[in-house]
Amino acid sequence: MIANAEALLKPLTIKGVTFRNRVMSTSHAPSYGKDGKPQQRYQLYHEEKAKGGIGLTMFGGSSSVSVDSPAAPWNQISVADDSVVPFFREFSERIHRHGARLMVQLTHMGRRTKWDTEHWLPVKSASVTREPASRAIAKALEQEEIDRIVADFSAAAKRCREGGLDGCEISAAHGHLVDQFWSPNSNHRTDKYGGSLENRMRFGIEVLTAMREAVGDDYLIGMRMSGDEMLKGGLSHEDCVAIAVEYTSRGLVDFLNVVGGQARDHIAHAICLPNMSFPVAPFLPLPSAIKREVDVPIFHAQRVTDLATGARAVAEGHVDMIAMTRAHIADPHLVKKLSEGRADDIRQCVGAGYCIDRIYVGGDALCIQNAATGREATMPHVIAKASAAKTAVVVGGGVGGLEAARVLAERGHKVTLFEKSGRLGGQVNVAAKATWREALSGIPRWLAGQVQKLGVDVRLNTEAGEAEIAALSPDIVVVATGGLPQRGEAKGFEHAVTTWDVLEGRSDPSGTVLLYDEIGGHNAASTAEVLAKKGCLVELVTHDRMIGEEIGPTNQPVHLRELYKLGVLMTPNSELIEIYPEGNRLIAAIRNTMTDAEEERVVDAVVVDYGTVPVDDLHFALKERSKNKGLTDLQAMIAGRPQPFEANGAGAAAGYTLYRIGDAVAGRNIHAAIYDALRLCKDL
Amino acid sequence: MTAAAFLPWLTVAMVLVAAVQIGRRVILWRGGGPAAVDWRAGLTALPRRYLVDVHHVVDRDRSASRMHVPTAGGLVLACGLLVLGLVPAIAASRLYFALVALAFLTMAAGVFLEARRRYPRALPRLSLGRWQRLPVYLGVFALGGFATALLAALGNPLPALSFLTFFAAAAAGLALAGTAATGPMRHALAGAAHLVAHPRPARFEGGRSTDLAPLDLDAAKLGAETPADFGWNRLLGFDACVQCGRCEAACPAFAAGQPLSPKHLVADLAAAAGGGHARPYAGMPYPNQRPTGGAAGLHAAVISPEGLVHPDTLWSCTTCRACVEECPMMIEHVDAIVDLRRFQTLELGAVPSKAEEPLENLRGCDEPNGRRLSERTDFAAGLSLPRIAETGEADVVLWLGQAAFDLRGQRTLKALIRTLHAAGVDFAVLGEEERDCGDLARRLGDEATFQRLAAANIEALSRHRFRRILTADPHALHVIRNEYPALGGSYDVVHHTAFLAELVAAGRLAPAALAGRAVTYHDPCYLGRYNGEVEAPRALLDALGLERREMARSGKRSMCCGGGGGAPSADIPGDTRIPDIRMDQAKTTGARIVAVACPQCTAMLEGVTGERPEVRDVAELVWEALEAGGAAATARAKELEPA
Repeated sequence: MIANAEALLKPLTIKGVTFRNRVMSTSHAPSYGKDGKPQQRYQLYHEEKAKGGIGLTMFGGSSSVSVDSPAAPWNQISVADDSVVPFFREFSERIHRHGARLMVQLTHMGRRTKWDTEHWLPVKSASVTREPASRAIAKALEQEEIDRIVADFSAAAKRCREGGLDGCEISAAHGHLVDQFWSPNSNHRTDKYGGSLENRMRFGIEVLTAMREAVGDDYLIGMRMSGDEMLKGGLSHEDCVAIAVEYTSRGLVDFLNVVGGQARDHIAHAICLPNMSFPVAPFLPLPSAIKREVDVPIFHAQRVTDLATGARAVAEGHVDMIAMTRAHIADPHLVKKLSEGRADDIRQCVGAGYCIDRIYVGGDALCIQNAATGREATMPHVIAKASAAKTAVVVGGGVGGLEAARVLAERGHKVTLFEKSGRLGGQVNVAAKATWREALSGIPRWLAGQVQKLGVDVRLNTEAGEAEIAALSPDIVVVATGGLPQRGEAKGFEHAVTTWDVLEGRSDPSGTVLLYDEIGGHNAASTAEVLAKKGCLVELVTHDRMIGEEIGPTNQPVHLRELYKLGVLMTPNSELIEIYPEGNRLIAAIRNTMTDAEEERVVDAVVVDYGTVPVDDLHFALKERSKNKGLTDLQAMIAGRPQPFEANGAGAAAGYTLYRIGDAVAGRNIHAAIYDALRLCKDL
Repeated sequence: MTAAAFLPWLTVAMVLVAAVQIGRRVILWRGGGPAAVDWRAGLTALPRRYLVDVHHVVDRDRSASRMHVPTAGGLVLACGLLVLGLVPAIAASRLYFALVALAFLTMAAGVFLEARRRYPRALPRLSLGRWQRLPVYLGVFALGGFATALLAALGNPLPALSFLTFFAAAAAGLALAGTAATGPMRHALAGAAHLVAHPRPARFEGGRSTDLAPLDLDAAKLGAETPADFGWNRLLGFDACVQCGRCEAACPAFAAGQPLSPKHLVADLAAAAGGGHARPYAGMPYPNQRPTGGAAGLHAAVISPEGLVHPDTLWSCTTCRACVEECPMMIEHVDAIVDLRRFQTLELGAVPSKAEEPLENLRGCDEPNGRRLSERTDFAAGLSLPRIAETGEADVVLWLGQAAFDLRGQRTLKALIRTLHAAGVDFAVLGEEERDCGDLARRLGDEATFQRLAAANIEALSRHRFRRILTADPHALHVIRNEYPALGGSYDVVHHTAFLAELVAAGRLAPAALAGRAVTYHDPCYLGRYNGEVEAPRALLDALGLERREMARSGKRSMCCGGGGGAPSADIPGDTRIPDIRMDQAKTTGARIVAVACPQCTAMLEGVTGERPEVRDVAELVWEALEAGGAAATARAKELEPA
């Protein structure tokens, strides 16, 4: 039991609407929208949280109210016409069924969006300015357009009410149109909307006044805003407090949803969506300070990953509701587990930012460790028992093998897990050695705890051979033996060490190090940071157009910040072609991929990251005698049908079925390994 | 004159000696407080109370009933026959002496069986000392009487021997009669008198009487300080004790090494009343006995540094009534303990330090943890939980109790609420109007707070129209059903297991089978022993298709979880914890689930650490079965709060 749980579980009533507890999920954009509507996938994703006991779930981050604020960029919701109302109705009924509340965020993005999408309309803002993040130059709004957008907000609010939603908030955070008007940084107007703070606040007041008139005083309307833009020339904390006081004292908003920072460029964006390099709840003082000045309830999100932190924030009176948005992506059943006394079963968000990073590169939000999130139509969050208990062997105690063992054990099978090393976690244990990436270790820690709790026979320091597996006469064998790093094919590659060698301490380079990256992931960037912190002079060379090209926008800036600070030399668009010794040093030859110009570096060590190659000896040793020749029926797996050789009930006498998952198939990432395991094993 | 001719006179002498002795005891009893006794009804009911009610309890220990029936029967028959022998014509009959001999022989056989319980080694729960010597005296009396009567029946062939046997019988018989006030044989007359003048006549003939009597808060002295503060028939009851130790064997506090033995306590109370006549106690000492004084006397404080009993003994009791249930002499141990606690709490404020806070909270906030009453329904936000103040009336008032403030208890209540929705029950809660039921305050001796809480609850209930009160808390059930009537509130109160069993029987709930799992049911004391409800929860578990395994101690003879009577608040240390012992008993059944039906039991048993079966309230199992049966969707639809 966590401290202050009772504070978290205490209902909150705002204007007659009771939220069953103080835990919520803020509006965000998981990219699950379809045709601008929250359809089945979107609804199921939120329904899972409602089932899991959440008090309030808010959807539709940046749902647009106007046609010149396109919903397309993140597959978001458009509330700009009435066609969304039936979807809202279905959605709210679905959520209310479980006792939770549902709200949406409404906004006009202003300049913070794209013109080359949906209706191809120019982006609009208070003034002709350019936002670094969106790289769009805005058209300044004319009075008629302002009036039209105000009317759009009011019409959208009405649609929320008609759709049965419990309320809505407007976004005046992260540089949307309302706060573009607030901020002297983006508002250079000289009319009644520009100049003094009073004038700059006018547009938002008009928006909220119109919304209030449309939906009445009893409908919940809130506002998301920053508590301090932490930006030279932006809104100071004092400005934000003044805005909060003005808006609440006019009775325009029923709650404030306060964040810290803004999102005008890459690093600002990464800071306002803090990843695992930040402490928990880094911006809690901001909502706390605003709460002191206003008399409406205060909501807050930003890296509140554990219930104890959330409970403290509420119990100490910093906020009235604590938003654990990413924490719910990792485990939508958070509150249920708390109230069932199963807090230890909560899969805690590690702050990898995988969910949010994906949407900025056009993907859908997926959790690095919970493969069921966002896939509720096909992937269960609670694993059903199998009709018959089987004997299963999982080889490899990395995250894929652990997830396989967990799911098979939840299915009711008798599971034995072999791990060659003395510790569960596999490659994550290596990655977690790199400075702030340590928090990744939370992923195998939870899995190992579950596996132990489910009674899986975990055999550490035991390499599984054919004999050991045969001795258990299994029905199912899952090979999750992972991969091992490769040193690439450059001439003289034998002189290189891998990022693994460095992180695991087998190699301890000093002096000048050339670190060559062909993956573009966290591995090379974080290893460069480790080496630089040890005093090495590091040059990070990559084949890609930039450092850490595969790392998403809430993580990559943090890597870059650290590498710049440490003086790491960053050389993109270059390929490592040869390594050879000269004296007691090495010469590394690199070629610019654009110009073909070759250069040499005299270094003390060459470290490379080419990803992994599968460890598949065991798989091929077992393949011939397996019923399915070691092949997963992909059609059956995708359709969620049992694997063909599982259905015949022949059991162990007829031999075993053999499956291969994760990096043992091909080197990918944590989510891929866990998803491989879940989607296969849930039907075994 | 033959020796046998003196036997009737010996009987007369024994009766006279015993009468004088008992007379001294009667004087002592009269020093107790007044008690209303219906003598005629008591006397009329005596044979039945003895032969049916007492025998029913005695017979649970077969070796005891086999021993006692011939011993007591033989003794009474022999003495009765011998009194007839005062008529010379009868005394002349050899057949008559043959009958007397037969009676004595019967008695001797019984004494032999009794001796077998004590020699070569006595059962551990039995007292030694005079009790160990009792079969010797009885045996000599019986065999002496038998030989004397037999010789008379045979025509007195050996007159010298018959005088010898007579003198042996006389010596033993007079010795027994001479200690009739202080020795083991006191139980005979005190026991019979106790049955006639029992303080709880309603408990006989299949009845149940487990409510505590209200205390007159205007009395000069509140509760019992000295033996004289007990009603005279209570003092009589203490004297009836046969120190058989069945109470001690059943006592959970004794088992856990806390300094309580009901047997020892009753012996102490009897000894305290007798003052200087106290004899050393020859049973097992209180476990981890605390040092006490030895001051005894009808008007000496029992619980005091100089007194006979240490306060820790008093506060170790869980009020589980296992001792009362087991006592063949129908002694009411728990009543005595509560009376003593009342004085400690109300007159001295001498409650255990850890119990001060809950009592303070109950006095100030009407709730033992100081939570706001309006928070009682917080847990149900998001569920539909109608307040009776809003609905106006309801068929059933759901009494939430203390569980509503506790995360674990809330799970049970949520399951119950969902189940009620699934069955379409018209129910509502009191909301803020519900105060603590007062059980804890009353068991901790704070009668004033109990009466205040009860009055407030009765007043709140009187404001609304409803038919029944439903609760998942057997403690609330007990006080509202059995103890509120004395304060003016009479209600039809039903426990959730009985209510759900009704719904299942009526076909209003269709639980799916939870087959393949073994469950053992732990009877809550306040449901089973206090209220006799042992069938409904079992019927429910059976209806769920669970494999039910019984613990050795179950039903009305179940063992306490340690959670009653304010014992967790008092927290008197022992060698181990009561719930650990109980959980071990559950484990031996091999069941993976311990089904419970009380929030206290749930909390106590879930507090057991290490590998153990899962603790699930019956309501949770019912809801799980309903969910499995697809009733969940219906319930959710009904739960939907009006927008």
